[in-house]
Amino acid sequence: MNEQDVKHNKELPKGRSLWGDGLRRLRKHKLAMVSLGIIAVYLLLTGFIYIAELFDCQFELIKWDAKVGSEYEPPGAENVFGTDFLGRSVLRKTLYGAKVSITVAFWASVISLVIGVPLGAIAGYFRGVIDEIIVWLYTTLSSIPYILLILAFALVLKGKTINLEWAGLGTIELAGITTVYLAIGLTSWVGICRLIRGEVVKHKERDYILAAKSYGCSNSRIIFKHLIPNVFHLVIISFSLRFVSFIQAEVILSFLGLGEKNRPSWGAMIDAARLDLPKGYWWEMTAATAAIFFISLALNIFGDALRDALDPKLRVQ
Amino acid sequence: MVNANNLLAVSNLKTYFAIKKGLLRRTVGYVKAVDGISFSIEKGQTLGLVGESGCGKTTVARSIIRLVPATAGQVIFEQTNVLSADRKRLGKLRRDISLIFQDPFSSLNPRMTVGNIVGEPLKVQKGLAGSELTEKVAALLSKVGLSPDHINSYPHEFSGGQRQRIGVARALVLEPKLVICDEPVSALDVSIQSQILNLLKDLQEDFGLTYLFIAHDLAVVEFFCDVVAVMYMGRIVELAAAEELYENPLHPYTRILMSAIPRVEPTLRGQRIPSAGEVPSALNPPSGCAFAQRCPLVEQVCLKQMPILEEKGGYKEHFVACWKCQ
Repeated sequence: MNEQDVKHNKELPKGRSLWGDGLRRLRKHKLAMVSLGIIAVYLLLTGFIYIAELFDCQFELIKWDAKVGSEYEPPGAENVFGTDFLGRSVLRKTLYGAKVSITVAFWASVISLVIGVPLGAIAGYFRGVIDEIIVWLYTTLSSIPYILLILAFALVLKGKTINLEWAGLGTIELAGITTVYLAIGLTSWVGICRLIRGEVVKHKERDYILAAKSYGCSNSRIIFKHLIPNVFHLVIISFSLRFVSFIQAEVILSFLGLGEKNRPSWGAMIDAARLDLPKGYWWEMTAATAAIFFISLALNIFGDALRDALDPKLRVQ
Repeated sequence: MVNANNLLAVSNLKTYFAIKKGLLRRTVGYVKAVDGISFSIEKGQTLGLVGESGCGKTTVARSIIRLVPATAGQVIFEQTNVLSADRKRLGKLRRDISLIFQDPFSSLNPRMTVGNIVGEPLKVQKGLAGSELTEKVAALLSKVGLSPDHINSYPHEFSGGQRQRIGVARALVLEPKLVICDEPVSALDVSIQSQILNLLKDLQEDFGLTYLFIAHDLAVVEFFCDVVAVMYMGRIVELAAAEELYENPLHPYTRILMSAIPRVEPTLRGQRIPSAGEVPSALNPPSGCAFAQRCPLVEQVCLKQMPILEEKGGYKEHFVACWKCQ
């Protein structure tokens, strides 16, 4: 667009898009806004840790492996959440654990969306043989129990390297959280794929798609300009609702010893605190559980509100 | 009916839908949605295609621009056979033939602005963008009776009649020669219907458009069309100039339809001919005349042999497919 055009457009009244309407509805939902605040705190914390590590800043709070007191110190004025069996601060470990969990959940979501959305759209749009192959693939995958599948993927991927030298990216060693999010992402695209496929099947028979065909839109233009924008709110909703289950999956994998080994994560903390609990050292378990509890609750409330706001037809009065 | 003035000539068009069943998706039969239809439209004329729901009107429209693959027949548009055109040809044809849809609530993409909806054909077909595109769209919006200020609005902010105007603008943006109107007013209130019909008439004069007008409302067709074709079960049963057809309906099915038009004037209200029976299944059509089961004049020959569409009884250019009309 050239300058004149932009100016011309600005003078005209703006329409209310469906996205704008959804955001307005969302803003009225107080609990959702509080949840969004909680989620933002977790995200900012993760971002802060990343930046601090990148620039090698010496903040006290991110030095989770520093010895700050004696072993198993109960919560007190000096160490708010007490200390663990090596005298490290539980508070710092919990904060650092957010980085691992959010990173895993984020990349797992991205991987599952990148696989699931295009596959679902292609299956739903072209139908026929392509559809049957994709449906067969995901029904087969979804018939395997979820945790078993993730475990199998994680075990297979562990310690392997991906050679990306042909793309000039060197090699990526699959260790720790990389394994975890690859395993979760590669196994969890089924739900979103099925959802998008169903929705695309519904939309592709609508007249506006026929109209687009009648004036000669290409298939890729129809899929990306017409169909995906009309089903994308579902992607956002399922992203926010799935984020929780990915955080939980990371906890389970870490608890089972397949996750991050060298840095604290909530699952690893629970795993470590498991044996301490009978001895009366409750604070490490409590801190990790509370961290999971608050982000799960906030994401669930926010995800539900998002669904109500973006997909008003689904709302049950 | 072959004529040098013809913009569109459809001959013996057939569109069958295969019914597939079982694990191996074997074809077990066909629904003959359109079964051998021929007609032609002269430049600047309006041909009305009427018939009851499910008789194949919409399939005819979609087969003509290849949104639905036709099984057999020819569609000649300006000396080009549409059905055998290659990709490049088809792309060009899609500039010249456009569609107006029935339901203004599902025919506009809810996530696009009016400007993008109306402008997209120009973007796709001619690669226009920027202020040139905006100007064209704004000009066309005022032409169809919408304010150009609405260019950034979304379809859900408009009423049904306004949305149909947007649909009309989208159909005209490429300056087509033929516009196929697929029941453009049947989803609208009666008061809005006349507005849209008048708009279509004005645009026809301004741009020299040719219409293929599909409807099930005979009163609308009488007002709007030059030539009328009556369809029943995928075939044309009667074809004549509008005046001739309304004054002198020959086919028993047309007569039943005519008697069902509501009239305001008591003197014009004729005897209502009741229609008996049901439309036969399209899966298993009868071997004779498709209307035989419901026809008040039915005879042995009707049940055995399919009548063909031919000029009948001294009436000029009045074609009927019926054994009983002489």
